[in-house]
Amino acid sequence: MIEYRDVHKAFDLPVLSGVDLEVHDGETLAIVGPSGTGKSVLLKTTIGLIVPDRGDVIVDGQSVYGSGPGTLAEVRRKVGYVFQNAALFDSMTVYENLRQGLPDALQKSLGGQEMLRRVCASLEAVNLNPGHVINKFPAELSGGMRKRVGLARTIVGEPRIILYDEPVTGLDPVNSAAVERLIRRIRERMGVTSLVVTHDIEGALGYCDRIALLDRGKLAFVGTPAEFRQSHTPMVMAFADRTAAANFSVQMLDDESHGGPSESWQNGAETTRGA
Amino acid sequence: MRWLAHLGLGILARFGRAGESVTTHAGGIALLVARTAKALATGQVSMRAVLSQTYAVGVQSLPLVTVTATLSGIVTSQQGGYQFTGSVPLYILGSVVTSSVILELAPVLTAIVLIGRVGARITAELGTMQVSEQIDALYALGRDPIPVLAAPRIVAGILAMPVLVGFANGVGFLAGMIAARLTVGLGTEAFLYGARMFWHNWDMFYSLMKAVVFGFTVPVIAVHMGLLTRGGAEGVGRSTTASVVFMIIAVLVMDALFPPLLLN
Repeated sequence: MIEYRDVHKAFDLPVLSGVDLEVHDGETLAIVGPSGTGKSVLLKTTIGLIVPDRGDVIVDGQSVYGSGPGTLAEVRRKVGYVFQNAALFDSMTVYENLRQGLPDALQKSLGGQEMLRRVCASLEAVNLNPGHVINKFPAELSGGMRKRVGLARTIVGEPRIILYDEPVTGLDPVNSAAVERLIRRIRERMGVTSLVVTHDIEGALGYCDRIALLDRGKLAFVGTPAEFRQSHTPMVMAFADRTAAANFSVQMLDDESHGGPSESWQNGAETTRGA
Repeated sequence: MRWLAHLGLGILARFGRAGESVTTHAGGIALLVARTAKALATGQVSMRAVLSQTYAVGVQSLPLVTVTATLSGIVTSQQGGYQFTGSVPLYILGSVVTSSVILELAPVLTAIVLIGRVGARITAELGTMQVSEQIDALYALGRDPIPVLAAPRIVAGILAMPVLVGFANGVGFLAGMIAARLTVGLGTEAFLYGARMFWHNWDMFYSLMKAVVFGFTVPVIAVHMGLLTRGGAEGVGRSTTASVVFMIIAVLVMDALFPPLLLN
């Protein structure tokens, strides 16, 4: 389980302003929200890639920031992170990239053949043919393949929790659907807890157990996909429905051109945290 | 009067910002050096990575080092010959060329080659890794970028630079000797006689000491600046330029500190 407790983070301006959220074991929780509202920042605080100014993150009962220096390393062993642009190492082949996903001690104990078998199994799990891609460099792969190799690199270490940072951004609908199927399949096969930051609401509503809407550094909604669809909060409605989104964006632009962003949608924002 | 106060405050603020920047960089570099030493002491650095980087820093720099060392030997020899003809015994040219090349030109010009060829590449490479989240990916996979990326490059600089400078010393000396024969007609025997007359073994040690210090400084600054990179392609360009300026100034300042510390 992951618990975010009163997480605050500011760069020049506040990004996260007191986020409290629980992600239960084995659940898939999608975080949606407008660009620049701190979704990826929240994800990165989970494994110390960004350190919160205040608050804490608890992973399986271990405080990431309140315990000793060894805790972060332990948490990183449990948690896999799928980066928005895959973040594959350019100078390494696909095989070498995936090998980085295995801890050094495990690599030594496994030996070459077993390591190769694991790498191939991970590539097959994300629908890639190991024979075709294993010796290629990231620059030789398409965007969709790079994302899947990034996913394979994450699952090769068999994490208990996987954090996805915009896994379908920049992909065509076919590849997006393929990646979404993989997220579902990995969860079913490995029983992992998944936290997915995405802009693809429709896709997320299809595979997540709960959905959280983050806006201006605060949670504006947390609930099931059904609750999300039925919500009357203007911001949630805007995200759940394309027509409402179009109307809402026109209203936002109007308000901004008349001296500042509208706050009207915030009135009555509903939150069912940890539901 | 108010504008004077504003001006004074502005100047103070500038000094303050500069001081803060220097302190931040100094702290960052000290931390990088300490973490690199720890990674080396605890055996976390891959020998294969060190060898691969040493090849890139050393062997691949040889052509450019050969060109700069040859030209520095030729130019020193020609200018010395022009100044000495008719006033100073010409065999002194052997000493002038040898001392100039070994004490100054070979270490400094090789360091400049290292900055342009290797330092800029390291900053751009690590900067690109930083902005494309590859450094974050290393952390996420439970790996520390210092033993994986920084330490092999720093060790490679320390190992390769003395070899490159030793090579540049030899090439510069030979080029100077050949140029002296062709341009001012100074024979090999006379050139060698002049070179031996004022030779100190310490000079070679001094030259190699400079090489070790520059070979350490250049990759340390390059790695530090690379890991500080933020802000996409523009950020990589900015940090690479800043890194090159920083490395050149650091090498020249340290070069100026060597004579009072080690030659007197």
